[in-house]
Amino acid sequence: MAGVKISEEAVFRWVVIVMVAAISVIALTLLTRPLVGALWLLVLCVAGCWYAYRWFMGWRRRGGA
Amino acid sequence: MESASVALGHGHAEEHHHGPPEANQSSRIDRQTLGILLFIVSEVMLFGAFFASYFFLRVVVDPASWPPKPYELPVAVAGVNTAILVSSSFTVHYALEAIRRGNREGMKLGLLLTWMLGATFLFIQLNEYVHIGFSARDLAFGSIFYSLTGLHGAHVFVGLLLLSFATIRAFRGHFGPKAEDHLGVEVPGIYWHFVDIMWLVVFITVYIL
Repeated sequence: MAGVKISEEAVFRWVVIVMVAAISVIALTLLTRPLVGALWLLVLCVAGCWYAYRWFMGWRRRGGA
Repeated sequence: MESASVALGHGHAEEHHHGPPEANQSSRIDRQTLGILLFIVSEVMLFGAFFASYFFLRVVVDPASWPPKPYELPVAVAGVNTAILVSSSFTVHYALEAIRRGNREGMKLGLLLTWMLGATFLFIQLNEYVHIGFSARDLAFGSIFYSLTGLHGAHVFVGLLLLSFATIRAFRGHFGPKAEDHLGVEVPGIYWHFVDIMWLVVFITVYIL
């Protein structure tokens, strides 16, 4: 497993990140309207996809799996 | 002469080898971790299809209200259930941290707590189904509600099975601090985190928005 970045520890970090994002969506929805919460969720999803794409390209440059 | 006999002996052993040959590993990620990651990618696509159906029904079919009257969703109960499932991710992480430090008792405690929290989540969800007041046959809303939450519930059930195997093996003393010696906890742990993340998305989509 030496040199491997994907592990339970890395996935757990994502659990915490998604949890914080979920709390922000819930708070925004309860404070405003469901549409605002849905749009914020969309923004977070796009940002997540962009981050995943950047990470994947970097990972391929480093030699992939 | 001696080396020839050793070589002969080796050849004899190979002759009697049964089963498939050892798989070639070209990846730097071990097979088990790569397998669970590819499985999770396919699961994300499966959930994606269900979410697409949900948003199609909710946005394109456009009912006057969502959930359609007179149905109501038990948001508070689902919220408590969410807290239970999220905390189970922390306990499985604790179990792995414990075995990485060589603390077998901590690993056993973490795995047992995770299993109990997961079972509690599933029990509360089944109880919710019993008392919710509508079935999968009640409108498209009922169908998609039971499909999404049921799909996730099935994943929790599978996760509990994996955790059961890991817990039994932990009590039999199967795992050690080295990375390759606790893959049997690491792989169910990764799956459990995935189940947890998916629930957060399901909860927000179905109960909050």
